[in-house]
Amino acid sequence: MYAKPHRIPGVYLVGKHLATRGSVAYGERALGEYRLWDPRRSKLAALLKKEADVPLNSEQIVLYLGAASGTTVSHLADIVSLIYAVEFAPRAARDLIFMAEKRTNIIPLFSDASRPDYGHIVELVDLLYQDIAQKKQAEIAITNAEMFLKSNGYACIFIKARSIDVTAKPKTVYRTQVKKLGEVFDIIRVHELGPFYKDHAAAIARLK
Amino acid sequence: MTLIKTWFADLEVQDRTIIGSYVCPSDLPSVVARLQAEDYADFDKRYRGVFREMAIQSHFVNAEPEYVAILRAAAISRARAQITRAFSQPDARITQLIDAIDDIDESINLLSERLAEWCGLEFEQVNQPVASAIAPGPSIRGPLAQELAISIGQLRELRQSIADAIERKMHTTAPNVSSLAGELLGARLIARAGGLEALARMPSSKIQVMGASKALFKHLKYGSKPPKHGLIFQHPLVRGSPAGNRGKIARAIAAKIAIAARLDFYSKQAYPALMAQLERRINDLQKPIRRDPV
Repeated sequence: MYAKPHRIPGVYLVGKHLATRGSVAYGERALGEYRLWDPRRSKLAALLKKEADVPLNSEQIVLYLGAASGTTVSHLADIVSLIYAVEFAPRAARDLIFMAEKRTNIIPLFSDASRPDYGHIVELVDLLYQDIAQKKQAEIAITNAEMFLKSNGYACIFIKARSIDVTAKPKTVYRTQVKKLGEVFDIIRVHELGPFYKDHAAAIARLK
Repeated sequence: MTLIKTWFADLEVQDRTIIGSYVCPSDLPSVVARLQAEDYADFDKRYRGVFREMAIQSHFVNAEPEYVAILRAAAISRARAQITRAFSQPDARITQLIDAIDDIDESINLLSERLAEWCGLEFEQVNQPVASAIAPGPSIRGPLAQELAISIGQLRELRQSIADAIERKMHTTAPNVSSLAGELLGARLIARAGGLEALARMPSSKIQVMGASKALFKHLKYGSKPPKHGLIFQHPLVRGSPAGNRGKIARAIAAKIAIAARLDFYSKQAYPALMAQLERRINDLQKPIRRDPV
């Protein structure tokens, strides 16, 4: 099938599917070397499906907090130049390491993003990408951005309303979280991820 | 002058030039050892932007691709070692064992149902506790069915040996939780909490309703009655009490388990007085409230 380049270099449209080019990582469908990218399995794909303007390019060094088993990381690695991938759950981190072994541009770190102990390892990054389900996710983003994100660097921060307060309305949660992030970031835009993800939003921001 | 500790070197920097340094040998074992041992202090962010240049200047590597390649290899082996360590913690083992028991129970039930249907056992036999109904014997006809019955029996033995192993491990890693909650329930609490440390950091209210999350969130969202007990319903003192007392008793037990978990995690010493205290407390709770005659 004919693959069209997406607005973001490194991303392709195969029919109506998003795809990146690389070797298969987690059993996803692939057409030739185009690995289909399911917006229901990866919030970044969902964000792209929602026509969000995600600041990605092939030169970038990314700090990825909450890498989980590496589904999204594997696609992102096809797009950017290097990823520092942080994950603290042993089970998920194990899968992440298996994946990192098969690619050359992923550096796995088994660490707690809320207490960064990778200060001697991670260099200045162009993009902070955060997808962690924790109550203090805004604080974690701020701490890490202040340590590792270059000035005017971008951040893509996913807000999982249900992890912050199950009783509040998601919209209220987004508002309070975005306000917190506003202390150190200029918020460019907040996207909701429905229908792919319920009660999730993503803030695209830039470090002040 | 600033001292910058990075994964490849300790660098003394003045006016953005390196004036002194200790550079780690760039072979994998040395770098991995340094990654493990490194204690870290924060430094000015702008130095972070020149890690690669500094690595080249200090002759740790010759070029950028080499920087990434060495760091990647070292980070992978560090993360591997850390994960192996995390998985071999006694509480991680206990979690595995208790999950194995749950899986085996499920399998035993499934296979027993199949066997019962296969042999067309009488209704009364099937309705008996599966343990006694399904045993290899004259009621089971056919060699394959016999074999299935034997396998089920073996699974049951395996379950028993896993339960024994949990008991032993619980006695050494969590003696206080074991004495209050019993080894199996204690193990379940540790598994659900995500480790002994997580349990030790938990408020007793959460321990009380852990395992009743559906009811808890229904309560928080829609204002239904809060759950009285989650996993700790399995505690004989909760289950064996009249329904009206169970909430109070669950609360008392959860409170003591919270203390026990902290003792287990932070001091690792058995403190036998806990159980006596809990018994006294529950004894008080079970007395009917005496009202003065009006």
